[in-house]
Order: sequence, then C-alpha cells, then structure tokens
Amino acid sequence: MIKKSMWYSILTIASVGFIVLAMGFYQAIMVTTAVNPQPPAKAPLTPVPVGSTKLSSKTANSFQLLILGDSIAKGTGDEKGQGFSSYLPESFKNDTSKEILVNNAGIDGLESLGLLEQLQTKRLDKTISDADFILVSIGGNDVKSILSLNDLAKEDQFKLRQDSYLANLKQTLKVLRTANPNAIVIFLGLYNPYEIVSNVENTRLLNTWNYNTQQLVEEDGKGIFIPTHDLLKFNIGRYIAKDGLHPNSAGYQALSNRISKSIETIVTGL
Amino acid sequence: MKLFSLIENEVIKMIAKKRLMFVLAILIVLISVFAYGQNQTLIRTKAQLSQRLGITATNDWRKLAGQQLIDMKNRLDSPYMDQKSQASTRVRMEQLQYNLDNNINPLEQSAAKFTTKFMEQSIFLFLPLLIIMLAADMVSGESSSGTIKLLLVRNVPRWKILLSKYLTLIILEVMVVIFAFVLSALISGFFFGFGGWLAPVATGFKVLAGKLDSSSVLNVPQWQYSLMVYSLAFFVSFVVGSISLMISILVKSTAASIGIIMSTLVAGNFISYFLSDWKITRYMFMVNLRLTDYLSGSFQPIEGMNMIFSITVLLGWAIAAVVISFVYFTKQDILA
Repeated sequence: MIKKSMWYSILTIASVGFIVLAMGFYQAIMVTTAVNPQPPAKAPLTPVPVGSTKLSSKTANSFQLLILGDSIAKGTGDEKGQGFSSYLPESFKNDTSKEILVNNAGIDGLESLGLLEQLQTKRLDKTISDADFILVSIGGNDVKSILSLNDLAKEDQFKLRQDSYLANLKQTLKVLRTANPNAIVIFLGLYNPYEIVSNVENTRLLNTWNYNTQQLVEEDGKGIFIPTHDLLKFNIGRYIAKDGLHPNSAGYQALSNRISKSIETIVTGL
Repeated sequence: MKLFSLIENEVIKMIAKKRLMFVLAILIVLISVFAYGQNQTLIRTKAQLSQRLGITATNDWRKLAGQQLIDMKNRLDSPYMDQKSQASTRVRMEQLQYNLDNNINPLEQSAAKFTTKFMEQSIFLFLPLLIIMLAADMVSGESSSGTIKLLLVRNVPRWKILLSKYLTLIILEVMVVIFAFVLSALISGFFFGFGGWLAPVATGFKVLAGKLDSSSVLNVPQWQYSLMVYSLAFFVSFVVGSISLMISILVKSTAASIGIIMSTLVAGNFISYFLSDWKITRYMFMVNLRLTDYLSGSFQPIEGMNMIFSITVLLGWAIAAVVISFVYFTKQDILA
C-alpha cells in the first residue's frame, strides 16, 4: 500500500507540476517573441545637471566649450553628477569675465568609431562651428577590452585596435577642422585605472597609445594633448570613483585645473 | 488492461529499480558542490573588488549604486543618447533602485539567483544526462532482460504499452525538474539565505538583423524568471527523453543507447562552434538546447536563430522521435 500512496502522490505532483511548467513555458515564449511587451514606464528623470546638455547660442560676450567623446567627457563617476561641464567653466572664471557656455555631447561607452559616426551625422555641425574650445575624450573604450588578454594576444590586438583608432581619430579631427578651423582642440590622454594591479607591459602599451595620439593631435597647430596618466598614477585612491574606472569629483576637478592652466593665456586673450 | 494502471505499473517499476533515487542522489551531490563553489567565487570576487577599489569592505555598495543611478539618469537625459539603449538603461536603473530600496547588495548571491543559475548551467548537458539515465533503458532494459516478451504476450495492444512508457517518462521528467528546483532552492538556501524571489531580473532580448536587440527589455520578478527557466528545462527534458526512448527502442541495448545519445549531446557542444558558418548545424537538436540563453540575452546572436526557431527544431525532433518509436515498436519482431 505504500507503493499505492506513493504512486498517487507522484501522480498529483506531476500533474500540478506539468500545468505550472506549461504556463511558464508559454510565458517564456511570449516574453522572448512578443513584438512589444508593454514598454516600461518612463522612469522619472531628475533635472539636468548645470549646463550639461542645453544647446546654447553664441553672443559677443561669451565663448563656447564643446565636450565630445566617452563617459569621461560625459562626467560619469562624479558623485556630484557634474564632470567637466561645470568644473571647467569654474576654473576659467579667474581668467576671463566672459560667460562660458557648455555643450556636452559625451556618450557613455563611446568608441572612436562611434564618435566619428556621431560627427558624420552632421547634427552637431552648428555646435562645432560655434565652439571656441573642443574637449575630446576618446579611446578608453577602444583599448579597455584587450587588458584581459594574455600578453601574446594582447600585443596583436593592441596593434589592430590602435591602427583603427588612429585612423578614426584622424578622420574625426578632419571633420572637426572642416566645420571649425579655429577652435582649440583639447584632447585628453588615457590613464590606467587598474594601476595598482597592472604590470609593466600594460604601462608600455598605454604609453605607446598616448604617444601616438599626441603625435596625431598636435600635428594640428591648434590641438593640445593633455596627459592624465601622470596625474592619476599615484592618486588612484583619491581621484578614481567607486566604480574603479572613472574619475570622481576630485579627479574631474584636478583634471579641469590642469586643462585650464594649459590654455590660460588663450582664454585670457579671448 | 487500462492505460492508467499500465502507467502506475511503469512508475512503480521505475521506483523499484531505484533509478529515481540515483537521480536524486546525483542532484544532491552536484548542487552541494556547485553551491559551495559559488560561495567560494563570491568570497574571492569580494576580495578582488575591495583590493582593486582600495577599500576594505564592499559594504559601502550603496554609494556605488547611488553613483551609478545618477550616471544612468544623466545618460537618459542626454539628447545624444542612442534610442536603442534606453530600454536597457531603464531596466538597469529599476534593478539598482530595487537593490537600494530593499537594501540588497547586488554582489550577494541568493537562493533564488542560484536556483536559476543552476538550471541555466545544467540545461544543455547535465539535465539531459539525468533524463537519459531514466529514459535509455525503459525499453532496451526489458529487451536485454527478456521481460519484454512477458510484457507483450499479455492481451494489451503494443501501442498502449509504449504509450504507457512514454507517459511515465513525462511524469518522471516533471519529477526531475521539480526535484532540481526544490533541492537547489533548499541547499543553496543554507549558503546564501532563502530569499531573493522578488528581485527584478531583465529579460525580453531579441535578435534583429543578427544583433542583440535590447529595445524591449523589461524586468520580471525572479520567481517568474525561475519558473520560465525551469519550464524551458522541462521542455528540453521532454525532447531529450523522446529521442532517448527512440534510440532505446531502436538499439535494444541499454549501454549502446546511453552511449549513442551521450556522445551526440557532447558532440553538440563542439558543433556549436560552426553554428554561424555552417547553416545545417542549426537544425540539430543538440545545439538548440540552450533555450534559457534567449531569456537572459547571454548568447552570440546568430541571424535566424531565436526562441521560436529553437523550439520548433526541438519539437520537430521530438515528434519525429515519437512517430519512429511507435511505428518501429508496433511493427518489430521480438526475438531474443
């Protein structure tokens, strides 16, 4: 009789289980194939941080700063949600009485190809031609994925990535110059956020990358390359955000100070 | 003799053979090992993370999560934001918000997460192997022990006998899937705590033009996600079970039938390397077993392969296997 009751309990469990599993199966199919499974409600948005995205128009009493590139251009990592958009104008305040208008077109995760495509859509052309300064941060996402490779594969991949990156960058600078021959292009170098656990090989690759970038950027008389590696190398704990990758508020401020010092006389002369 | 009592007879036979007990024991051992391993990984990840970030504990995850939320909000505001990635950003934000609201460190494991992950890892090899253990000797076992003659001389049509075996197999498949669920929820609960069933999980990925499209991603609660994963697992065991039963009827030897179906499954693992280049491979059942990957979006998108495609292929194989089984079983001569 034990077998009899066991059989009935198995039968019951199996029947109920079958029905439940059939429903789950139906759900699984629906969720992966339904054309539009109720678009998620629009998340409430917080007010835009100061001057980050508004497209401003130029007047005689102001100059314009355009920020292009990846998450660092965007200001990701800053616990105050500010980034270069507000620290740079701040540090210019001492040098000029003019109003500083900022346009930030940074996109998280952007690679050099993405930046080139963004510029080629021409949507930004007006903003570019109005800009007096163009801050560009790009390349980090191009190189990020090769860090985890072994040394042999890394060397090859690095060459490939660097070649395509330099080609894209060359194109990008050309597009910028076509739209605006006069603006000062400020290019941010790469740093190594994993400095603490990194080896010499990685540093060598990083330096190669930065060197070649600098060469390219400064072929243009009005381009300037701002190194960041030296500033952050011994300050990872102080200047890198909790995500271990982006600068934090203090990091962005330190970088902004460095940039403003480099172009101080130009700002004063405007 | 009625079909119902035939099935009862078959189920009792399976219990008497202790097959189900073996499956249960294997599940317990493997889940324990897997849960222990996950626990070790978790400890290591935490250590590495705190080393990399230069902080002593990962307890201050709230700061980091809050930071990420701000960044993502800013990202959504940007007029330059790619329309396609908005949905996934929102889904990510909902998850982080949930973590913050309920004070759950996103790094931590939970029984719910583990249970789901366990089946996602088992669905293409481990679970089919368990099913094979049950299915492969249902008919061939009777052939090799000679009891099949006793079974067939009774005044019952042959199709009814096979049907009873087939339905028994389906009952056992449901039992195995339920066992797997209950055991992994229980065992992992001792390591990671029993909660986590309400946490949001992202799903709803699609493949458009050979690229992973996340424009319609949404969050579902973890329990619902687990249910979907285990339902797909049941479907997979149904397909593998049907095919094993067919092979068990065709070759009449338990060892040979287990060998054939196991090598086919293992071969599927390396055939999937050719998937994108060699079109015919995608019509094999072995490469379509990872159905749960379509839910989690963690697959190499290949043009033309999606949930419906894989399910259709698998269903096609199952139906073919059932038809062949019935035709062959009712027609064959029983020698031995």
